[in-house]
Amino acid sequence: MNFRERHRIPDLGIGVGFRPKHAADVLDNGGSPDVAWYEVISENCMVAGGKPIENLARLREKHTVIPHGVTLSIGAVEKLDEDYLARLKKLVAEIDAPYFTDHMCFCKASGLDLHDLLPMPYTKEAIEHVVPRIKHVQDVIGKPFGIENVSSYLSYRSSEMPEEEFIAEIAERADCGILLDVNNVFVSSYNHSFDANKFIDTIPVDRVVQIHLAGHTDKGSYLLDTHSDHVRDEVWSLYTRAIRRIGPVATLIEWDDLIPTFDVLAAEAALAKKHRDEALR
Amino acid sequence: MKLGELQNMFAEALVRPQSIAHDGEWPARGNREFTGSSRLTPIGQLDVYREQFWLRHVACLAEDFPTVQALVGEETFAALVAEYLGLHPPVHFMLRHLGDHFADFLSTKEDALLSDLARTEWAYIDAFDAPDAPPLDAAAVAAIPEDAWTNARIILHPSVQLLRLTYPAHTLRQQFRETKTATRITAIPSNVIIYRRGLLLYTEQLDPLAFELLDRLAQGETLGAAGDALPPTPDLESKIGVWFAHWASLSLIARIET
Repeated sequence: MNFRERHRIPDLGIGVGFRPKHAADVLDNGGSPDVAWYEVISENCMVAGGKPIENLARLREKHTVIPHGVTLSIGAVEKLDEDYLARLKKLVAEIDAPYFTDHMCFCKASGLDLHDLLPMPYTKEAIEHVVPRIKHVQDVIGKPFGIENVSSYLSYRSSEMPEEEFIAEIAERADCGILLDVNNVFVSSYNHSFDANKFIDTIPVDRVVQIHLAGHTDKGSYLLDTHSDHVRDEVWSLYTRAIRRIGPVATLIEWDDLIPTFDVLAAEAALAKKHRDEALR
Repeated sequence: MKLGELQNMFAEALVRPQSIAHDGEWPARGNREFTGSSRLTPIGQLDVYREQFWLRHVACLAEDFPTVQALVGEETFAALVAEYLGLHPPVHFMLRHLGDHFADFLSTKEDALLSDLARTEWAYIDAFDAPDAPPLDAAAVAAIPEDAWTNARIILHPSVQLLRLTYPAHTLRQQFRETKTATRITAIPSNVIIYRRGLLLYTEQLDPLAFELLDRLAQGETLGAAGDALPPTPDLESKIGVWFAHWASLSLIARIET
């Protein structure tokens, strides 16, 4: 059996990131039939009490919720934060998430938490470093872990392979899942002039637990992954290509800056469903 | 360069407040480690991350301290944040904790209004996501023997924040929320509590004596010791009874340990 079958990774359909701005729409007014599930930022749920915890409990009453972390720092040389892992384990258990996700990057260095998804050099040294850390995290949490490819604005001279091969080898050796962020593939392919189609065609499909879609911003000399706009046509095309390879897999619309009204976000989810249905025909 | 050295180089670059594109050895270091692209130089690539580091952290503190930012203006606020992060760089995985020391930092600026305002805005954040606690069990309170009250300790709801202010900064915060403008206010010593009941936040200004008692109780003093520490006051015992009933009605008291 492949990774998704072994871990019974569900096809959740189309989801969106839950943001407090939409709490009334989702929790009081029933959300939207176009939104089948919700993602929460794991760290936002690690507070002690109050509205964030109340919202999470209410969200979980009616929907599948997947926690998505931004500060695990799996690629850092710094030690893994066991306090963080304990909190993540508690969260995953409380909401009975089928899996959890975070990024293939580092966030910590020199004792600082830099709060960014900083890119890894695609080297054998980095693979040797990251694989046992992913195994440890997966063991501690007790649920499958999906690692996400990040948008990057920088490439290392020391890299020894393309990003998709780096991610694929880590996932195979650590036996973890992959969160394929199609917008990040597009952003990085533009910034580093590589073939986005080749990335999509190389990633091991059986390990993809989820796909992310989002908008980005053209900064002139580079694209920035801002999650502040509609998904671009080029990204929809890549998504269609990915779905044709992978098959039906949970897909998420991320919108974190210049957050629109919930109906606009739900309409973007409906558009994702249309693209997904067409790709699966 | 080893993985750890590369990551430390990142950290060193990101915390620099100004662009490193033309800064000393940085362009040469960038050439050694990064490829650049057809549109960005190697060090220009790293500078994208440095710029994002500052935008993100200034935006985070502006979100947590919007009235402070409105009072001093965006430019001064950004300069204050740069100085602050130089002294207190981010070390916690949650951005929620970035402003942990901001009020203390502002207290070194010899402007009590700024530090009072920062303490007040931070208190609302602490009250917002503080742990929940079950309401005071009225039957358990009624069962406390009369002679046990002197040594009783009052455990406040975890959201309760006590602020002894030189300026009524909570009124300035309210002014900003209503008008989106903030102008300096006159110094009036104020004793303020901020607390959460259910999911809503509340603010109340207390009588100085009541505040003194509540503050002592919050620090773990027994009811008897806290009452004895107050200055001689006519009808103190009955006043304490009234205050206590009021605090209980506001759900400020989580439990009583005897």
